[in-house]
Amino acid sequence: MFEKRDEQLIEQALKGNKKAWFALIKRYETGIYHYGIRMTGTPHDAADLMQDIFIAVFKSLSNFRGDGSFKAWLYRIAHFRCIEFYRRKRPDTPLEDSEELSCERPTPEHSLMSDITSQSLTHAMQRLPLAQRAVIELKFFGQFTFEEIAEQLGLSSNTVKSRLYSALSKLKLDLEVEHG
Amino acid sequence: MVNQSPEYLFGQWLDNALTEDERSAFEALCVSDEDFAARVATATQLNVAAEQFSAPPMPAWDKNATFIAPDKPKWWQWQGLPAVSMAMSAAAMVMVLSGFSMQVEDDRVTMGFGQSVPKGPTEAEVAALVADRINDYQQANQAMFTQYVNALQQQQQESSTQLAQYLLKSSRQERREDFAELVQFINQQRDDDQRYYARQLTHLQREINAMDDGYTAVTE
Repeated sequence: MFEKRDEQLIEQALKGNKKAWFALIKRYETGIYHYGIRMTGTPHDAADLMQDIFIAVFKSLSNFRGDGSFKAWLYRIAHFRCIEFYRRKRPDTPLEDSEELSCERPTPEHSLMSDITSQSLTHAMQRLPLAQRAVIELKFFGQFTFEEIAEQLGLSSNTVKSRLYSALSKLKLDLEVEHG
Repeated sequence: MVNQSPEYLFGQWLDNALTEDERSAFEALCVSDEDFAARVATATQLNVAAEQFSAPPMPAWDKNATFIAPDKPKWWQWQGLPAVSMAMSAAAMVMVLSGFSMQVEDDRVTMGFGQSVPKGPTEAEVAALVADRINDYQQANQAMFTQYVNALQQQQQESSTQLAQYLLKSSRQERREDFAELVQFINQQRDDDQRYYARQLTHLQREINAMDDGYTAVTE
């Protein structure tokens, strides 16, 4: 059978069709959950963030005008919910470009990850500031172009690139350390 | 002219948008610039890690909590309501301005434009109509009363006849019974008389017999 397009599922969900909304969730929940793991570092926080994101998406669903892809719109909301997530965790800390939002020590949940490389990568990403982590996430895991990332984060393309290069430099060092 | 800037080439490479010339320049830069090559290597490593990324299995989570059923709009919130109201107002204005009239008569509805509503009957017509109706009513009542009186008279006559017949019949019966009783009484008297005479005769016979016996004795 042909899969329904995101726009069709959104239209049906807006009319109160729960099945369509669940189909839309099923399409993106794995990606959002993995995003949550990489951004928060723990499966538990990732699950909370995922639920938070989908609630926010549903509430804003009527605002989706279909100018861009639903995926890009979804990840933009995910980014804002992620910022909010960290703001709730540390209300007094400025978010953008903050070095203090990194998680220095791996949490016990890291050991749940089956793959060593994934574990190392998640651990290394937690050391990045949230703003740089978001750029890495969207570029390498979300497969968005610089222009799309700039639009999602409300930044210029050059700022996105600058953050990416800084993040790559830090990751290079961290991954070298991780792999010994 | 190819843009040789490392940032530009790196960005194009990450977006997978290198032209042939840019790719040549990019590869040359990878060979000549150690830092650039290291950055490319890290990016490649990240790309591979992204493709092979494995996370814990998806936990069971409450999807229902994300679905907030939209409130059904109330009937007065129906979007077509203003349009319908407008249309009704316009129709009402047209009806008023065009002299629309509607008449219901004998289960028929007559509608028309530009007609004046027909006037009702005058007071004299109404009085005449009422008088006619009353006259008809009186005649009908009169006829009904006459018929009722006739019926009563006929019923009275029948009752009288039945009563006379009954009286006659009952008198005859009584007389017949009286005569029967008289005859029965006479018969009983006659029986009594016969018995009396029989006894008298028997007594007389005994006396005669006794006289005969005495006479015989005397003679003997």
